[in-house]
Amino acid sequence: MVPPAAGMGLQGQDERERFENEVRRILKAAGGERLVLRLLGSLAFQMHCPRYGFLQAKLGRAYTDIDFASYSQQAKGIRDLLGRLGYAEDREIFVVTEGGRAIFQNPVIHMHVDVFYGKLDFSHVIPWDGRLEADEPTIPLAEMLLEKMQIVQINEKDVIDTIMLLLEHPLGNTDHETIHMGRVAALCAADWGMWRTATMNLGKVGLLAQGYVQLEGVDKARVVEQVQAALARIEAEPKSLAWRLRARVGDRVKWYKDVDEVQ
Amino acid sequence: MTGRVRDLMHPGLITCSMDTPLGQAAMLLVRHRVHAVVVNDRDGRPAGLLSDFDLLAGEWLSKDPESLEAMRRMTAGDLMSAPLNTIEGEASASEAAERMRREGFHRLIVRDQGRPVGVLSISDLVAHLATGEPARRETVADVMSHAILVCREETPVREVARTMTEARYRSVLVLDRDGRPRGVVSGWDLLACLDGGDGAEARAEQVMHPALTIRPEASLREAADLMIEHHYHRLVVIDPARPEAVPLGILSSYDIVSEMARPGSVWQT
Repeated sequence: MVPPAAGMGLQGQDERERFENEVRRILKAAGGERLVLRLLGSLAFQMHCPRYGFLQAKLGRAYTDIDFASYSQQAKGIRDLLGRLGYAEDREIFVVTEGGRAIFQNPVIHMHVDVFYGKLDFSHVIPWDGRLEADEPTIPLAEMLLEKMQIVQINEKDVIDTIMLLLEHPLGNTDHETIHMGRVAALCAADWGMWRTATMNLGKVGLLAQGYVQLEGVDKARVVEQVQAALARIEAEPKSLAWRLRARVGDRVKWYKDVDEVQ
Repeated sequence: MTGRVRDLMHPGLITCSMDTPLGQAAMLLVRHRVHAVVVNDRDGRPAGLLSDFDLLAGEWLSKDPESLEAMRRMTAGDLMSAPLNTIEGEASASEAAERMRREGFHRLIVRDQGRPVGVLSISDLVAHLATGEPARRETVADVMSHAILVCREETPVREVARTMTEARYRSVLVLDRDGRPRGVVSGWDLLACLDGGDGAEARAEQVMHPALTIRPEASLREAADLMIEHHYHRLVVIDPARPEAVPLGILSSYDIVSEMARPGSVWQT
């Protein structure tokens, strides 16, 4: 039997609540110390999608760890905070990533916490750029969409999270309960590689959504409509000279970074 | 801006074919001292333009051997911008300038009765702008060159010589790390580096001569006096209130002679 991919598989409600409660405990403690700590990853999608969050459990999307975003100036405060909450940091990761990422383990409750400082840097770079204050307790919805759409080797768990996001929130030009497409389009217009991956993945999400029997017909149509609107907004954004030049080279040269998975 | 496009353009087109490799296209640009070549289709008709900026993609994207190999396989036809942006030779210079600004073009292919006959670049329009005469030509400030070529004290003289040659300047002003003028390197100074030794490995500060300075409001006669007295061919024009700041310009003996040769000057009436 083939084991489920990471982030997929049946997960009991007790286990899901254990992750969700731990997130709330960390966020409450961070808020008390005025630290800018925003949730991303599967738990962020769950928290920011109260109407469609049930799809994660229904489609077999499991929590595996807790991911946060913050600014590098907050690294010491976050390290101290998580230390008080029972977490130990793997200092080597922080050093190797030049302060871009920190990994913490809580050996008692067996929780794994990732903190991404300044940016998310996998297949493409999503800079936080002072954007973390735009939403709470998660990163802004635009960055949540980009977090998934920047993954070249996108997998089912990422597709499920994106479907939830697109069903739950309208597209627009604000961050309040809205996916700020101006921000998405600007990042895609600044970097052809990001545009290439994000538009490719949006198309995949629209297609793959049609294959989920757990989704109602109206929801499938809504996902397609949202994908088409997002693609149209991205296309409408004026592109830089560098973007247009890179576009001429196209797929002949690799447009993304290979991701070294840090466990 | 007055003048017609056909009078300002570079006549003729430097061309290459669609399947010209990028390395060969780069050689074409350098050989003809141009910033872009027209890419012709298989029937010999202009299909697009390949500029030095487009060719930068070669270096920009060759981050690893695999990417370099991919870029080396690309051709002028792959990287050119198309379609060609054209303008009629009869159009005015201001019309061309307006179009370049509005549409973000750096050059336009000039057509005469539909046939491509030349290229009009920003440099051509800039050169045209430079031909306009200032209203008054009495003081050093009126005739000096405001744009100056500079280098740092530690700049190798080989680089100084290369930049002077490429920019067609006859001297370079040497600044320290804080932008204060320290001296001037002229062609004369560089002669010492041709004695067969390792002079070309020297730095600017080792060959420069001290800068002789003058105020911008000084008369051309004062400037000529100073040059003759010290046997200097160029003066560094400084702001008297801030003598250690980056200079205002350079006045050369050629600038004064040019003024003498100008129609309408006291020497020509």
